[in-house]
Amino acid sequence: MNAILNFISRIGQLDRRWIFLIIALVVLVPLYFPLGLPIRATESTKQVWEAVENLEPESKVLLSMEYGPSTKPELHPMVFGIVRHLLKNEHKIYITCLWPDGQFMAEDLIEKVIEVEFPNKSYGEDYVLLGFRPGGEAVIKGIVGNIRKLYTVDARGSAVNDIPMMSGVNKFIDFDFLFSASAGFPGTIEWVQYASDPTGVPMSTGTTSIQVNEVMPYVQGGQVNGILAGMPGAAEYESLIGVPGIGTSGMDAQSIAHIVIVLFIIFGNVAYFVERNKSQKY
Amino acid sequence: MFWKRTIPIAIVAFVGFLTLFGWFIDEPNIKVFVEDEATQWYDILASFAIFLGALNLLKLQSQKILKKQKGWQFSIFAVGGFGFSILAGFVIKGNDAIQWGAHVTGKGTLFKWMFEYMFTPLSATMFALLAFFVASASYRAFRIRNFEATLLLISGIIIMLGRVPIGIKISSWFIIYLTILGFGIVVNSYFKNKQITLAFIGGGVLLTTVFGFLMGWPIDRPGIFYLPLLQDWIYNIPNVAGARSIMMGIGLGIFATSMRYILGIEKSYIGE
Repeated sequence: MNAILNFISRIGQLDRRWIFLIIALVVLVPLYFPLGLPIRATESTKQVWEAVENLEPESKVLLSMEYGPSTKPELHPMVFGIVRHLLKNEHKIYITCLWPDGQFMAEDLIEKVIEVEFPNKSYGEDYVLLGFRPGGEAVIKGIVGNIRKLYTVDARGSAVNDIPMMSGVNKFIDFDFLFSASAGFPGTIEWVQYASDPTGVPMSTGTTSIQVNEVMPYVQGGQVNGILAGMPGAAEYESLIGVPGIGTSGMDAQSIAHIVIVLFIIFGNVAYFVERNKSQKY
Repeated sequence: MFWKRTIPIAIVAFVGFLTLFGWFIDEPNIKVFVEDEATQWYDILASFAIFLGALNLLKLQSQKILKKQKGWQFSIFAVGGFGFSILAGFVIKGNDAIQWGAHVTGKGTLFKWMFEYMFTPLSATMFALLAFFVASASYRAFRIRNFEATLLLISGIIIMLGRVPIGIKISSWFIIYLTILGFGIVVNSYFKNKQITLAFIGGGVLLTTVFGFLMGWPIDRPGIFYLPLLQDWIYNIPNVAGARSIMMGIGLGIFATSMRYILGIEKSYIGE
């Protein structure tokens, strides 16, 4: 018995480099050898899917990208999924960015999804990248008040007045739907407060897992039509549209990593109690 | 004093009151100011703020190098990166086919190269390190020290497993057995009697097994022990209740601070 307790005590003092190695392995291995675990869509993900699915044909959808490379693994898959769904249903996409890195993410989206999977869709007629403007929530207010004053040219330097799909689009109320992919401030909450709620234009959102807590009250209050919560949300959306992508493949790795972290917590606590009992004895 | 103190306070008070009243007064000119012009003023000022921020960064990091303060070697990379970004942004385009302005995200430009091959990997690496620190912290710091810590730990585990696909595969009956064992530990520490503990655990396991056979062991029933449903409940009920109260507190705090600025009580923005 003493040998077992000593062993547990020793495990409690495990060098952190072993923990790092184990985490690296459990993340890498499922990425190369997927397990194909089932995905169950939550209510909030289904709400987003329904909101997009129920849009009238040729709806004008504002897609706002507020994230960068650090949160790309969580948010990029859900934006890919949303854009696939929107273009499949023949909607028009207007992309804006409240973060400077968002514009790079948007270019990546156009290059990897729109140009490859939807070659018949043309820039300026089916989708447009308006790009980044500094100012945070003031940019949102600018879009609400008069988008033409804020954006005189798009991200590629073309005059907004010359872009065919911009005709009839002067302010936020001219859009039919907003999807905000957000990793923080300014992002989803500011879109609710300054744009969607005052104008009544419906919106949905996709956020990092850590941000879900603060956005959930808006979802429950009906101000936001559902939320894609982190990478699981992206994977759930991919399963709903029937196009498995990087969100789905990432979920196997996240599943195993979570199991391992839970095991770490259990082992850590067992070692803690063994150590505490030992010190009480002496 | 008049120019440095009174005038800025008067501007803040005037613009603050004007913007605030814009929401309550039906006057078209004030409305236009609040909804349109004020936001453009903000955009202009924000653009200047970016410029000032960049200059400030350059000044502080350069001073650190010149005075050889602690960690000055890292500042070389900061200043070098700054200079390289200026070059890529304003001097060397890298692709003549693309216009200035569009070159920031345009294919084949130096700025795009810098973003893809320097900024993206560095940024992603910093964020990815979190996974390793969380794992290490969970092993060393996440301890059942008191009731609150236990509650937090159990909720954390439910969320971690319930959010991922593997949670769907964990039967609610397995969680019931684990719960019985968990309560067995509580019973044992309270009564300190092996017979009572054995009777509690044995009785619980027997009852669960009987009900399991009667119900046909459905993986998601009883729902209260099914991790995906449990995590949904935690997200939607206790979490939202907490988040709402925090938001209300923040809202009241913002209102109080804004009023202090408008009334000239808070003067930190002029260095007081």
